[in-house]
Amino acid sequence: MKTKIFLVMLVVGAFCAVQPAQAHHAFAAEYDLTKPVTLNGIVTRMEWANPHGWIYLDTKEPNGAVKHWMIETAAPSQLSRHGLKKADFTDGMTAVVKGYQGKTDPGLANGRTLVLKDGRNFYIGSVGGPNDGAEPQ
Amino acid sequence: MPSIVPAFAWLEGLAWTTALRESPFGYPLIETSHVACIVVFAGLVIMMDLRLVGLAFTHAPLAQIQRRLFPWQMATFVPSTATGILLFCVDPLRYYRNVLFLAKLVFLALAGLNALAFHLKTYRRVEGWDEDPQVTAIARLAGVASLLLWSLTIVSSRLIPNNWFK
Repeated sequence: MKTKIFLVMLVVGAFCAVQPAQAHHAFAAEYDLTKPVTLNGIVTRMEWANPHGWIYLDTKEPNGAVKHWMIETAAPSQLSRHGLKKADFTDGMTAVVKGYQGKTDPGLANGRTLVLKDGRNFYIGSVGGPNDGAEPQ
Repeated sequence: MPSIVPAFAWLEGLAWTTALRESPFGYPLIETSHVACIVVFAGLVIMMDLRLVGLAFTHAPLAQIQRRLFPWQMATFVPSTATGILLFCVDPLRYYRNVLFLAKLVFLALAGLNALAFHLKTYRRVEGWDEDPQVTAIARLAGVASLLLWSLTIVSSRLIPNNWFK
């Protein structure tokens, strides 16, 4: 009996090992902590959506070219908890987003904070992000 | 061949799918129920499979285990499927373009076919080997296939949010 239980545990353990322990799509798998970005631009679209929201932001490169960013935010429940509302977003408004750039996709970023034109500042980071002090205690 | 994309775009744009996608509590509630039902369902399926492969309950008649587990398997499979369909309707284009989601559907279909073949063919003749600690080879094979296919279904589902190969 003990051998059987051991065998079962071995099989279960093997399946667990397929996916090393990590939170729901790990921050470190997709975003680069060594590439913090401050994006000052125009919001072309905001997806207030589960399981993650997305801010589409256009910034100007030093050479004048427009760069399109796709910035991941926390889920609606978390954004609401930090005081943000869907109605705070209008297409074409300016905003400043701080976050981290994607590892393989240079137009992708993980948002940490958002500053609106009226000066209001919001935490927009997802659960499982880096402990960089952006999250209000 | 007409593309399915316009149909999925239409589904995504409906008032109720949009409301659910944007909801602070509805979506997490459905998502959590989906996972909770699967956890229980998988546990019940694994116990039946372990009896088939001869690793658990070998001294209990197979039919007795099947009779006791089956209603609970169905009671968790139905809500996990219903919540799964809801989650798909909320974001059909994202899942349609996610290769791991498509892989999950394939494994799910194969696991379903394996279960169907077992219940409609192999299990029909259970009287002959009901009390044997070691069941017939074809029944053992069904148990191994079930363990493998349900595991692959769950692992590929778990990898969907990683958004690989986009």
